[in-house]
Amino acid sequence: MKTPIFLAALIGATLVQSSVARADEGSKRRLNNLHNDVAVRHRRLLVANRFEFAPLFESTINPDFQHILGAGAKLEYHLGDMLSLGVVGLVSAGPMQFNTKLTDRIVPTLETSSDDMTREPSQSEFNAHLNKMPVHGAAYISITPWYGKLAAFSAAYVAFDFYFQAGVSYAQLTSDCPSSICDDPSPGMPRPGPGGETIPADNNPNNDPPLNSGTRIGLYLGGGVHVFLSDFLALDLTIRDYAFSDNPSGADYNADLFVGHNETTGDDDNRFLHHLFFGAGISIMIPFTVKRTP
Amino acid sequence: MNAIRMRGTIRHRSRSLLVVALGLALAAGSAFSQPKKDNKPADKKGDKAPKGSAAPKGGSAEEGIEIDEPKGGGSGGGGGSAGGTIDMEEEEKPAGTLEQELSATNTQGAVKAGEVKKTPISWKDILVVVRKPFLKVRRTELYPFVAVTMNDNMITHYAVGGEFAYYLTDVLAIGVEGQYYAHNFNEPFDLVARQARRLPTVNQYNWSAALDFHYVPVYGKFAVFDRSLVAWEVFFTAGVGAGQSEVIPRDTKFPGFTNILIQPNAGAAMRFFPTKWLTLTLGIRDYMFIDKFEPTNRSPTMNATAAEAKDNADSAFINNIMFQIGISFWLPTSFEYTTFR
Repeated sequence: MKTPIFLAALIGATLVQSSVARADEGSKRRLNNLHNDVAVRHRRLLVANRFEFAPLFESTINPDFQHILGAGAKLEYHLGDMLSLGVVGLVSAGPMQFNTKLTDRIVPTLETSSDDMTREPSQSEFNAHLNKMPVHGAAYISITPWYGKLAAFSAAYVAFDFYFQAGVSYAQLTSDCPSSICDDPSPGMPRPGPGGETIPADNNPNNDPPLNSGTRIGLYLGGGVHVFLSDFLALDLTIRDYAFSDNPSGADYNADLFVGHNETTGDDDNRFLHHLFFGAGISIMIPFTVKRTP
Repeated sequence: MNAIRMRGTIRHRSRSLLVVALGLALAAGSAFSQPKKDNKPADKKGDKAPKGSAAPKGGSAEEGIEIDEPKGGGSGGGGGSAGGTIDMEEEEKPAGTLEQELSATNTQGAVKAGEVKKTPISWKDILVVVRKPFLKVRRTELYPFVAVTMNDNMITHYAVGGEFAYYLTDVLAIGVEGQYYAHNFNEPFDLVARQARRLPTVNQYNWSAALDFHYVPVYGKFAVFDRSLVAWEVFFTAGVGAGQSEVIPRDTKFPGFTNILIQPNAGAAMRFFPTKWLTLTLGIRDYMFIDKFEPTNRSPTMNATAAEAKDNADSAFINNIMFQIGISFWLPTSFEYTTFR
């Protein structure tokens, strides 16, 4: 047992000695490509000093009367790793706006023709008072306090960040109530008759103009997540709240029997409402190359 | 990214290293060491190595750390993800390894005769990849939570509930949950009555219970304001259970009735790990069921009793989507790692 070990030791010693000279010359070890890499990598600055352009879609969350699907884009410039400024705008038209289930359940139960002797709206009166939102958007400042990376199914490793936004919202509202339906010339007010007499208010809000169209400026809040698919592409998921004055039903909200501003009480059927949207888009970061922390 | 393999070839290498060491002792009276420039960290570590770290069990010599040559030459940069795999298994080598070992030794590194310098390199001293900060396997989660309806614009349900979940593995759990509900009517409930002169038909939920399975496919970590690191994960839930709903009569002259509902559920949630025994969970769960509602026509002569109304009830498929948030307590309150670093 000892003899082979001794022999091997001799061989080993010979080989070792012969290799000393080569070692002094700096022989090449088998190394992989991590050899020259740093032990701790610098973080990729995935958003800092980059433009973010994101085509996106949005959908209302739990609206009362009208679902809105919007298509648009977001443009944002990231001043640093945490702070950015941006704008988002979306349009919605045609079949992208449709009735909620609540509306679909109410309308068939309503009377088919208008009857001023009842307080119940007709189907056409109800539908004509609902408003739509063909354009909406916001300008905001965004903060990204959280960033990190995740492993999905122990296979895909992706970076992500969470962001929160606040700013000013904008919306263009429309309602289309024809004069054949909204025919009250002075809602809630007495008006002079043809013979000089005074005609009292009809106390019927169903024939009043809905007054829920026009431009709205309000508050904007949002929060979302970027999931980076590459150095310059990210999945962008956001919850957005466009809050502004609105009266989605276009009907009498404050029970003063007409639609509009009540000079006596100061109430208005339009009130400050939150419009929640869920958005999904693909963010393209420009420039495409990413820098790392120094 | 190429794999880094740490080979604990103790059985084979210990003999050859012993032979080489013996030969060195005989021939030059000195030990050999790797060139310093190639393993600075190892040298440093070696100087401060804990007692006993240099001599692993089962072998009298040091373990070797070997880095495989890249196959295909993929870039090491990429997404910044530590995608390398670490193989700590002992590999069997074919017979006749002595020559191979010797030649490998010759080609791998320079051997310098001279002053003896002890460099006890051990993989135990090298932190290769940070371990998962939280283990769940064979632990029980006690999860009290509160919940709120997300998708009903007539009535909002608030729930107080709890769940016991046992983690069979680190990613798979089975649990039971229970919830008690309260409710509140939303603005459209009054508006529809006042504006459209229609009384909405709604049900309230009283309680529910379910058997759930959880699967955790996603985990990660994030930095908060560039300071503290927080670990988190995403898990999916599927389950089946039962619940009770109760008709809220449009006209209080008539009695309501209750329904027992079979409720499959599915959801997704995020869990954050502040400590080893306490976590924060928030997520969304969809409870699906077919509910029975008060019939449209109800009068003293029609569907007046609860039984009649129930017999003629209108059925509808309901998705009750709830947002849940709660704090989980984990038992045992601590855990031990069973794998190497």
